[in-house]
This record gives sequence, structure tokens and C-alpha cells, in this order.
Amino acid sequence: MQKSWHLNRRDLLRGTGVALSLPFLESMSWAMAPSDELPRRMVVSYFSYGAYMPEAKSGIPSGRAQDVHPDWSWWPCGQAGPLSFNQSSAPFANLKDDISYLQGLDHKGGWKLGGHSSGDVFATGADMTGEHKTNNISLDQLAARVHGHKTRYASLVLGTEGGTGSYGRCKTLSHHGPGRPIPALNRPQEIFDRLFRPYAGKNQTAVKGQLDRKRSVLDLVLEESRSLHNRLGQADQAKLDEYLESVRAVEKRVARSASWLDRPLPEIDPTSLDLEVTAEDPENYIRCMYDLIYLALQTDSTRNISFMLESEQSGASELQNYAHYLFGYSGNTHDISHKRPDEISGKWDQWRAQQHAYFLKRLKDTPEADGNMLDRTVVLWGSAHPHQAHNTRNYPIHLAGGRQLGFRHGQLHQFLGNQKVPLANLFVSMLHAVGVPVDSFADSTGDMTELRPGTV
Amino acid sequence: MTGSLLRTTLLVLLSLSACAEANDESEADVDVHAYLQTHCVDCHGPEDPKSELDLTQLPGEPTSLREAERWERVLIMLQRGQMPPDEVPRPEQSATDRVVSQIEATLGHWIARSEQLPAAVARRLTNFEYQNTMRDLLGFELRLAEHLPEDPVIPYRFNNSAELLLMGAEQLQRYEENAARAMAAAIVDPATPDVHNVRKEWKSERQNNELAVTGNRRGNVAGGLSVRQWPEHGEYRIRVQASGLFPEGTAAMPLRLVMGYGLAGDIGAAPFFPVGTIHLNAEDGEPRIYEFRGRIENHPVEPQRQYRRGGTRTGNLTTIPASLVITPQNLFDDGTLNDGIAAELRPRAVIDWIEFEAPVADTWPPEHHTRILFASPLRDSDPMAYVKQVLQRFLSRAFRRPATSQDVDRYAQIYQIFAADGASMEAAVRDTLAVALTSPAFLYHEHQADAHYRMASRLSYFLWGTMPDETLLERASAGQLQDPVIIAEQVRRLLADDRAHDFVRNFSTQWLALQRCRTLPINTRLFPRFLYLVKKGQHAGEEVPFRPTVRDDMLDETVAFVLELIRSNEQIDQIVDSDFAMLNERLAAHYGVRGVQGHQLRRVALPADTRLGGLLTQGAVLTGTGTGSAPHPIYRAKWLREAILGDHVKDPPADVPALEDSAGDSADQAANIKDLLRAHRQKVSCNDCHARLDPWGIAFEHYNAVGQYQPKVPPDGVRVLGFDAKKHTDAAGYQQYLDSVFTVSVDAASTLPGGAAVNGMEDLKSWLLLRQQDVITENMVRRLLSYGLGRSLTVRDRFAVDQLVRQARRSDAGLQDLIVAICQSDLFLKRDN
Repeated sequence: MQKSWHLNRRDLLRGTGVALSLPFLESMSWAMAPSDELPRRMVVSYFSYGAYMPEAKSGIPSGRAQDVHPDWSWWPCGQAGPLSFNQSSAPFANLKDDISYLQGLDHKGGWKLGGHSSGDVFATGADMTGEHKTNNISLDQLAARVHGHKTRYASLVLGTEGGTGSYGRCKTLSHHGPGRPIPALNRPQEIFDRLFRPYAGKNQTAVKGQLDRKRSVLDLVLEESRSLHNRLGQADQAKLDEYLESVRAVEKRVARSASWLDRPLPEIDPTSLDLEVTAEDPENYIRCMYDLIYLALQTDSTRNISFMLESEQSGASELQNYAHYLFGYSGNTHDISHKRPDEISGKWDQWRAQQHAYFLKRLKDTPEADGNMLDRTVVLWGSAHPHQAHNTRNYPIHLAGGRQLGFRHGQLHQFLGNQKVPLANLFVSMLHAVGVPVDSFADSTGDMTELRPGTV
Repeated sequence: MTGSLLRTTLLVLLSLSACAEANDESEADVDVHAYLQTHCVDCHGPEDPKSELDLTQLPGEPTSLREAERWERVLIMLQRGQMPPDEVPRPEQSATDRVVSQIEATLGHWIARSEQLPAAVARRLTNFEYQNTMRDLLGFELRLAEHLPEDPVIPYRFNNSAELLLMGAEQLQRYEENAARAMAAAIVDPATPDVHNVRKEWKSERQNNELAVTGNRRGNVAGGLSVRQWPEHGEYRIRVQASGLFPEGTAAMPLRLVMGYGLAGDIGAAPFFPVGTIHLNAEDGEPRIYEFRGRIENHPVEPQRQYRRGGTRTGNLTTIPASLVITPQNLFDDGTLNDGIAAELRPRAVIDWIEFEAPVADTWPPEHHTRILFASPLRDSDPMAYVKQVLQRFLSRAFRRPATSQDVDRYAQIYQIFAADGASMEAAVRDTLAVALTSPAFLYHEHQADAHYRMASRLSYFLWGTMPDETLLERASAGQLQDPVIIAEQVRRLLADDRAHDFVRNFSTQWLALQRCRTLPINTRLFPRFLYLVKKGQHAGEEVPFRPTVRDDMLDETVAFVLELIRSNEQIDQIVDSDFAMLNERLAAHYGVRGVQGHQLRRVALPADTRLGGLLTQGAVLTGTGTGSAPHPIYRAKWLREAILGDHVKDPPADVPALEDSAGDSADQAANIKDLLRAHRQKVSCNDCHARLDPWGIAFEHYNAVGQYQPKVPPDGVRVLGFDAKKHTDAAGYQQYLDSVFTVSVDAASTLPGGAAVNGMEDLKSWLLLRQQDVITENMVRRLLSYGLGRSLTVRDRFAVDQLVRQARRSDAGLQDLIVAICQSDLFLKRDN
């Protein structure tokens, strides 16, 4: 009989909406990663309320010279080809060969969602306009499903507002599958403790006993649920299946925790970080979050991370005040996207770029094997609500890192007119890069050879 | 070609309908065929059909639920006169009636013949139901739902249907964490705990014991009482000795206690946790002692860390130990709080002392503990038999039906696992019962085999949003809950109970899409007196978070109104217009109604010339359907058609620019709303929908963005000046400001689809009550039924709905009678619904 913690193929395929090549699956198990395997990592990050692009108000350049602003546009340069940098993108200037900008990509499934809801599907590409309005698995979680067992944590899901939010107003990028948003963590202290002090001071034997009991209890819960299941009608059985799957998933996590128990935790000095910082101090807060992501990757605690830097429904969060704290702007941060004052709009993009560049630079400055950490980390940064008109097409998309995973950078790529391809094609390439051999993802039509040539 | 296809379709349709109705087949054939051919196929034919409905491709006899639903849609459009549209010649009403009855007969036939697939009803508890169920199961309230992922919010729809209530591993883990929290609080350890006591007194010198509405000094009672040590779990008791100084014309004030982080001087992001509010009317010199109780777990504060040297980010972090601050608040508000009136002219609370005690150990162990671990000699003589009894009792309540012997055995096994390591009985029972609180029998509305227990849960979750109480379970155990007389008696009992308030709040908030009212940013330059704003400092201009305003009252008003309609069994028509309103002093001042004093909402008879009455003019509705600066006729039209008439209004396509705010983007520039709408409609893509939408909203134009009757608007193109507190110092000055901005009379005349001319709200209400009574009643029936069943209604339910509508339209039937009828209906009683 198969052990309950064995990752079975049906579990993997159910609800993912993706097809995996079979030979790969045969070898799947919860075995530890071979120690000589170098990590392949993925970070997906998101900003809200669009970006300022006077020459490309619909996300693609208007072609009119009078629309071009000399300093300010989220797009670093006017044309496809090698990158040059304006003021908005200046923080990335010394990372030129590690980044790409991509114009004209979006998710078809997000077209009909309003601008303030399309963030829900940024990492999933799900079609939420159907009757059930449910999301699907996000690319970071798909990677976690396949390679998550190699690290202490399968994935790390962060946001600045915390929790899941609700339909049409997600505060997390990550979803296990339909109706399973993963709550984002937003408090630095909590993130630090979960990463580096998971046993809250309990000794190994106590934790082990706890986990053992938990496993036995879960078996009984499953037994109870199955007997209930058999008494139900068809429609209700389907409902209860969700519950059973959830219990099995919890069971697997318990098994995982147990298998990592005797491995030493990385020792990180908490005073090297300001874990008390809050979003009232935007720059230190965002950098602290990026630092935690860096530490999680550097200690190989996880390889799959999502980070919702800003949600599309931030009315109740400190993000509303960022524009005020940072630039003394009189309105809400959200107002910037409607009123579009040149200078402030540009500075806002520039500030975001500075923080993201800070993170990329930390990865790049950390040697790994015969390169650096950034070379083995693919980092997506973008938004699904690009423009003032709440139009949900042609997202601002920025990709960094992963050169040793096959990516080539230094260009602005345009996918316009009949060259247009789904954003999901990029996701397919990202998944391939981290060793997830999907044939397709969401509405993809292929992969993206422009960025990852000759590697399949 | 088209014609022949259509004919085939119609022939099938008609041959079927002929079975149901004794019409002359050939005559009907010609009738319906000619009707659809003449009036419909131009738009709904094979070429680019509008709404993607091609009537030539829709089989006359439905072959699937989807097709039956499309026919139902056609039926509704014809019945309500929404199709054919006004631009094309109107068919004879008699011809439409004939077609309607043909389609109806066909649908009836299909419903009778088609296989009845049971709907999924094994849905999990919504967060709202979960919170309430835990409260009733434990016997005290812990804030637990806030640790769960939020349930979906879809305006005008209820979130209690199975397809929206999903489950995942993260969610399950959060249920586990909550269950552990709940059991840690519910079961105490045997030893009598240390009781923490703190007391603080304030003297009258320098008016230190006087609590004004605003403007309190340091050292004043407004700073509250700091508690340095308190238990992790348990009930607390706070006692306050207080009286009031009441200037002429006032007699009472609401006094609220808040416990958590201190409020003084900080309006930052720290959460605050209300303890309770009392109605303070004791005169100065005759103070009274007021007592508050609650759970200490609901007031979490953490130690704060600060930089040593005055907030600069150099120097070392230092930890300031957590303290629990009990702050009293004087919440008096007659609607003129922003008018700069001196503190002495307002009631002040005189607080002599505040006393804190936790845990309350008058009886130990507390009642919520002995309800689970009851006293019994068996505990010592045969511990395992005792545990089984404990399980039997607890599981029967948690599962809302008698626990079976398998249930008890299984949980006894779980108990043994936890007890194996030498854990105390208390600890092992805690862990065991926590598992029960994550089991499907607890988390899901189970498909109970027993009809009476199933009914007990249906009734209590419908009308209370929580588990059945003892009376309901007794009725179920006696096998009485299929008896219409007993059901009626129980429904009326449940509705009279306090918990019915939870139902009405949850139901109304979703039905009427009231959430937006609370979160919509209000233009405070245009409506500077609507909210309380922080006067100075980093947060200047932001709303004071810990002081309820008239905006909170508005939501309470609408909930209280719907509850009053139900409890007093008023006619359904009253949702459109009523001769009373639910008001308190602050709301009355906001709406311009005189003679209402005090904080409590109560039923107020409205004079004949009132602008109020019914739901349409309530602040929560009007504010939520505005832009924060100006009314928004499209939002209001959508609200009316969705919430009151039961239509589904499609969202606009994503790439259409939004209608501009009539008060300008930032209220800088006004623009005539009718012109904006006209411009919007001129785009062909917009006109299809907006021609049937805008006119409804125009009739609301006399009501401004914060729900007041405001018959004037700013003139076209003018730059709207913001309010200047220095220039307009008092209420009269404020009125002067308003008069200077709003100078042009509103034009609220419009022509409704179908041709009726209405001018403003009174006309609209009259027309609705004259012409749309059946539609409004049907909508009410459908909303309540769908909420009560926890699922969307389908075409299969339409005849059951029709029957309920007929019952509800009887002249003597009220809203409470309708709820009774719903609970007695087959749909509610039968298992597969």
C-alpha cells in the first residue's frame, strides 16, 4: 500500500489545470533533495494601481512623439532592443544585463475583471469570469508542489497587508487551486519566527511527540470523514472531497515537519533586522520584507516566494499614506494613478524601482557556485492593472535573474499586434527554468524563447 | 433559412406547451412564431445576436438546465416589459401575454419531466455562522472569525451557497488554531487562579474626573486606567462609578469603554477593542455603579518596542512592557459635534473610579467549564466512562444532532492518544474537543438524515445565523419539526429573539450591498461635517478611527428598519415607502427631522411631507451608491434594479472609461450629470444597457452623496470651493458654505423604460408601488428563500416561488408571514432542497 504521505500523481494533477510530462512524475517522492543539486528559485512580486507611462497609456506606445516624457515613464526606453534608462527606471541601470522589460503581455482571464480585481489572477492566469468565479493554482505554488519537498518550507507567501482578502480583492498572490487562497504574512517578526524559530523554543522530543499524536489523530479524522462521505449524495460528496483533500494536505505537512525535525535550523541574528518596523515607515518596512525574502532564499529555507507589495484594494492599509510619507503628496497613494501628476507619478515608480533593485542587488552580490544567487533566481515584478483607465490589458512586466537557468537579459521586448502572446507563456518559461516541465499553464500557447532561447 | 430553423424550434416548443395547456395548437403556433419573428429575431437572430442570445438556436423544448434558464430569462424580459425595447414598435399586450403563458407552460412541463438532481447543501459554515456557533457552543464570545480567510463578498448576492464556500489546507489549519484557542479558554485548570485587581480614582480638582466629548487634558480621566498584569485567559469584570453633568436640553449620554492600547494622543494604526456602551443618565451627585464583562482574550496587546532617543532610528531599541489601558469615551453626539460648541454646553461624564478584575472567580470553575467537564463521581471512579459522557454531551451540541456511539468511540480513541503522555484530563479533553471543532460534522451543514434535526438547524441558521438552541433541539427530538403549526410557532419565537438581529444584519448587508457605504472615501472638503477628522499632526484630515459617526448609524438604521418590518409583520411594500423611520438624534439631525433625542434607534412616525420612508432614501443606501462627492445615478439605478426589482445588471465591459464624477475628479470642477450621462449614452456600445439604466438613477438626484435631501447642485463648470473651517466657524456658517456651493436646482425628471415619466423620488416610489408590486414581492421572496436555503435559485424553483408570491400578495400578509410560509414550504422541508 502506498504511504499516505507519498505524493500521488492524482493529487498533483487535480485542479492544477496543467499537464506534466509523465516520466518526470515517476520519480517523484518526498525524498530529500540530493545535496549537490544547486537550487533553482522563483520570486513573484506585484505592485498595484498601475504605473506611469505617458507615452503608452494603454500599456503600449502610442507612437506620438509629444506623448514621450524625457524623465518619467515606467518603461525605461521608447523602443524594443537594448535597454537604456530614464529617471523612473534609473535604479536598475547597474543591473542592465540581469533584467528584461516586456510589453504587451496580459492574462485573458483578467480582461473582464475590473482593474481593481485583476490582481487576483496575476500569478494564476485563471479565468474568473465564469459562473463559479474561482481562482486556480499560482505558478509559485505549482513549483512548490513539485520541488517544495527539497526545502524546509515548500513556499513563502508574503504581502504587505496580510491575509487573503476576498474575491476580487486579493491580498495574496498565491493560490493552491480553486478557492484556496494562501494567506499572506505581513509582520516581519512573525515571518522571522516562522522561518527561523518554528518550534517556539520547544525541544525536539516534545515537538516530535506532538507531531506523532497529530498524525494518529488525523488518521481518525479521515476515517470519520470517509464514513460521512459514504452516506452523502453525489453533489455533497464533491463538497466533502475538498475537506478530505485538505486533511490529507495537512497530513503531508505534518510528515514534512517531522522529516525536517532533526536537521539544524539556520542561525540568523534577529538584531541584524529591524523586525519591529511597520508600514508607517514604508522604505524600511519594504526593505525589511525584501531582506527576509533574501534570508529565506540564502539559507535555502524555501525556493518559491510570492510577495504582494501592494494590493489593489488597499483602502484600509498604510499604502494609502505612502505618497504622503514619501513625497508629502496631499492625496492618497491611489490618487496618483488617477490624477497622474508627472513628477510624483514618476517618483513613485522610481521609489518602487529603488526597493526592488535593492533586493536584486543583494542577490547579485551574494556569490553562489560559479556565479551569484541572482543567476539562479528568477524574479517577476509587475502589475495587472497598468493604467489610469482601469483597463486590464498590457501589463507592466519586469523579469530579472535566472541567467544560469537559461534566461538572457538586457532588452525591452515588445509583444504587440500580431506578435502578441499570453503572459502565461512567460510563466511556462519560468516554470521550465526552475525545473517544472509543464506543457502549458492557464491560457499559454507556448513558451518564451525570446527570453530563454534554446532551452526546453 | 433562418425562418425554417426558427419554425422547427417553435414547433417543438409549441407541441410541448400544447400538452400542458388546452390551447388551439395551430393558432398558438402562428401566434408565437409570428411574435418572435416580428419582435425578437432582428436582434436575437443568428447574426451577432445581442446578449449572445440567438433564438433560432435555442431549442423550443429545453434539453438542459442551461437552456431552460435561457427560456426563463426570455420569459422574465417579456413579463416585465423589458423586451422588446422602447425603440421598436410595441406588440399588443395580449399577444405578449399569450406568448408568456406558452413559454411558462413549456417550462412547467420540462421541470416536471426533468430529473431532479439534488443541490449541494453540505456547505461549510460561513465565517459569520462559525463565529456565532462558537459563541453559543462555548457560552462566551471569542473573536475567532477574524483569524480565518475572508468569505467572498459579491454585491447583491449571498455568500452562504456551497459553490462559494470552499475549503483548503490553509483554511483547515486556521480552524485548528481557532479550535485550540477556543478550548484553551473554555476549559480551565483545577487550581483557583490568582485574581488581578486594579482600581483608580479621580478627584474633582481641576475637573480631573470629568469626561468631555473632546478636548480632555493630561491627567484627566480620559487617559483611563492602565492594567499592568492580567491573566492570559478568563472573564474580566470592569466596574465604573459614574454620573453625568447634563446642560439644559440633554438628559443622557452613551458612555463607552475601550480596552487595549491607549487612545490618548494616538490615532495610528493600533487596533482598538470596545468593551461595551452604557446609557448614562445618573445625575451628578447621585452616581451609579455600572458593570461590564467580557473575555480578556479579546483584548490582545503586545509589548511595544521603541527607539530610546525620541523616535529617531539611532540608539537601541527598548521594549516597553505591554499595558492594557481601559479608556472611557463620552460618545454624546446630537449631530453638531463638528460645530465648535464649548465643552460645558455638552453633557460630561463624571467618573469617580474604575475597577478592573480578572479572572472573575466568584464561582470556580466557571460555568462554561462545568458545562463541559460537569461534576460527577464517575470522574474518579471510572475516568473513561466519564470522558465518554463528556463526549456524548459535547458532540451532540457541536454536531447539532445526537452523537452516535461511533462518534463517541472515535473521539474516545482520540482522547486516549492525547492522554497517553500523562497529560491531565483537562489538557487531553481540550485537545480532543478541539479536534471535534475541525471535523466535518461541526464545520459543515450536514445533510442530516433525521428530518427534524435537519429542520432545527435550517431554522436556526436562517433566522439566527447560529446553532439551534435547546428548545429547537427538544422539538426535533420530539419529532415535531415537520408540523406546520410548530414551525410557525418556532419561526415567530426565533424572530422575536435578540439573535434575529444577527440574521437581519447579515442578510441586509448582502442583499442591499451595504458594505460600500462603510469603506467609500468621503470628500471631506465638500462634506466636512459628516465624519470626525483628526485636527492636527501626521494624521490630520483622516477620519478618527475610534469614534462612531453618523455613517455607522446609517448601517444600523437600515438593519433596524428591516428588522422592524419583520417583527411588526409590515407589508412588503414598505421597503419602498413607509410611514416610519428608525432614527436616533444624530441621524435625525443629519436628515433634518426634529424632535428625536438620544442615542438609541427607535421607531419614529414620519410626517406627511417627509422626504424619508422606505429603503430608497436611507443614508446607507444613498451614501454607498454615491462617489463620496456626488450622487452617482448609474450606481443608484443598478442598486434599485438589483436589490429592489431583482434584475441582474451586467457589469460594464472593462475597457469602457468610467463616468466622470459630476463634482469633478476631486470636486474641483462641477459638471451637469445629465449631460455626462447623455454623452455616455451616445456611444453605441454604452447605449444598449444605459438606456435601460440611467433613467432610474436620475430620480434619486435630489439626494446627495451622504444621503441628505439636497435639491440643489453646483452650477455647471464652476470650481467648487472646499470648506474653510476658519471662515465658516459654526453651524450657520456651514449652511452658508453649502448655500454658496449648491445654487442650481436639480433636474430629477426622467422617462422610465416603458414610457412612464417620473420627476424625482416621490414619483418613482408611487410608480413602483403602483406598477411593480408583484416584481418587488417576488424579489423579496427570492432573496429570503435563497438566503434561507443557502443556494441560488434555479428555474426549477419558479413555481414554488410563484406560490409564495401569491401567498405574500394576500392583503393581510406581512413580511413575517412570508418568512413563516417559506419555512413551511416543501422547498425548505425536503431533504434534497
